[in-house]
Amino acid sequence: MSVDKSGVRQTTWWKKKDVKQTALIWIILTPILGYFSTEVQVRSMGAPASEIMASTINLMRIFTWTAAPVASLVFAMAGTILLSKSFYGNTPPPEVEVGYTNSPRANALWVVVSAVLCLFALVVGMVAVQRDSATLTDATAMEIKVTGQQWVWSYDYTDGSGVRSEVLYLPVNKPVVFHVTSVDVKHSFWIVQMGIKIDANPGYITETAVTPNKIGVFDVRCAELCGLLHAYMQNKVHVVSQADYDAWIKAQAKLEAATA
Amino acid sequence: MAKRLVGAIATVAAGALFIAGLGIYVASAKNDDTLLKASAAGTMITPKGTMPHFTLAIQVYPDSMSGSKGPDGGAHPGWVAYGPSTNFEVPANSAITITVTNYDGGESLNNDFFGKIRGTIDGTATLNGKKITSVPADAVGHTFTVHGMANGQDELFFSVPMRAVPEEAMPEEGYTKTPNVTVFTIITGDVGEYIWNCEYPCGDGTIAKFGNAMSTMSYMSGHFNVVKA
Repeated sequence: MSVDKSGVRQTTWWKKKDVKQTALIWIILTPILGYFSTEVQVRSMGAPASEIMASTINLMRIFTWTAAPVASLVFAMAGTILLSKSFYGNTPPPEVEVGYTNSPRANALWVVVSAVLCLFALVVGMVAVQRDSATLTDATAMEIKVTGQQWVWSYDYTDGSGVRSEVLYLPVNKPVVFHVTSVDVKHSFWIVQMGIKIDANPGYITETAVTPNKIGVFDVRCAELCGLLHAYMQNKVHVVSQADYDAWIKAQAKLEAATA
Repeated sequence: MAKRLVGAIATVAAGALFIAGLGIYVASAKNDDTLLKASAAGTMITPKGTMPHFTLAIQVYPDSMSGSKGPDGGAHPGWVAYGPSTNFEVPANSAITITVTNYDGGESLNNDFFGKIRGTIDGTATLNGKKITSVPADAVGHTFTVHGMANGQDELFFSVPMRAVPEEAMPEEGYTKTPNVTVFTIITGDVGEYIWNCEYPCGDGTIAKFGNAMSTMSYMSGHFNVVKA
């Protein structure tokens, strides 16, 4: 309890009812928001099929949990305001003169916490991006040209086999560099479970790389709204063993030669 | 306060319902109520053994007056269109022979990948009775391309180019008397819902020639459903 200049006894700010209510909502909401926001995102992305995706999921968890207290505080304050009595009908309370004060300490705390959070996100994100792009310069990587057009993807294997396919086959644990372009409008090449996504621009070649580390069938989708059948611009990527990949590429090359 | 809370929740729920309703309406809009079912044609010996055999006969016209829009051509009689329907239904685990009669001309593909016949038995088709494996990219009129989908159903992808009718054979009025007839056979997998579209840029000049007929369902795109035999 404190006394103001006019001699009126004031309750210390953290003992006020609305502050306590806000704090209570904040404490309850933070773990709930952190958990569900993380899990909904992570589960919707599916099990990772590359290190890039694993690190993306990890980043998502860290960022979401870091953001949860901030978002919860905003929601808690909004909730307190929405739940407080604000309509008094014909008996309005006497007007209270509210004194606004400037707190350098609070300002500094706000700026420092925000700056630390931003810096944390920037540094952690850049480390992950840097690690991911190392595959682009891997001399052992295989290279595939990806062409997007309304509303199909096609793949050219540039290993001399002459194979062209509408379905992507990749050997497991082998780095692969994708050279991505479009022959009409903008598309975006996205291998969902491998965590790579890059724009396909007409007249330009963009590059992305990944090392698939799990055998299975995964999804390729277009992530740039590109017209009527954009939602159907999707196909599959088969990640197989090196032996199965060699057999597939041989069979495809044979088929290409037979139908040339 | 309870009244206000109920009001707020009801407003959010009404908004969500409106958006969901709009989404369902848009997703189910086919713009073409007709359906062409494959006709039974006995059995066929295929690389996968003897299978039930069905046939589909479809056409490509330089306008919309002979397709599903009726003789007046509907809202856009000048747009190129497939006919007699743009929605097809074929049985699962069967051999489907599709005959496409192309009455339209053409120019050049955006991507020569689609000049080659893909996904048919042996990667071949017949063009006016002669076996082919591709059509030169600068002589393609249209393609019939069914998309493989990444949604758990069988991967069914095939793409067949239709040779364009030469410009000198295209009459001022009516259709050419010498259309190009392409015949090919595919093998269906399990039940699934697919989308097909033409990969030849035959729309107007906008959106890389993928405007108007190419960007409206039931002209150069439609549904290709594989159903239980």
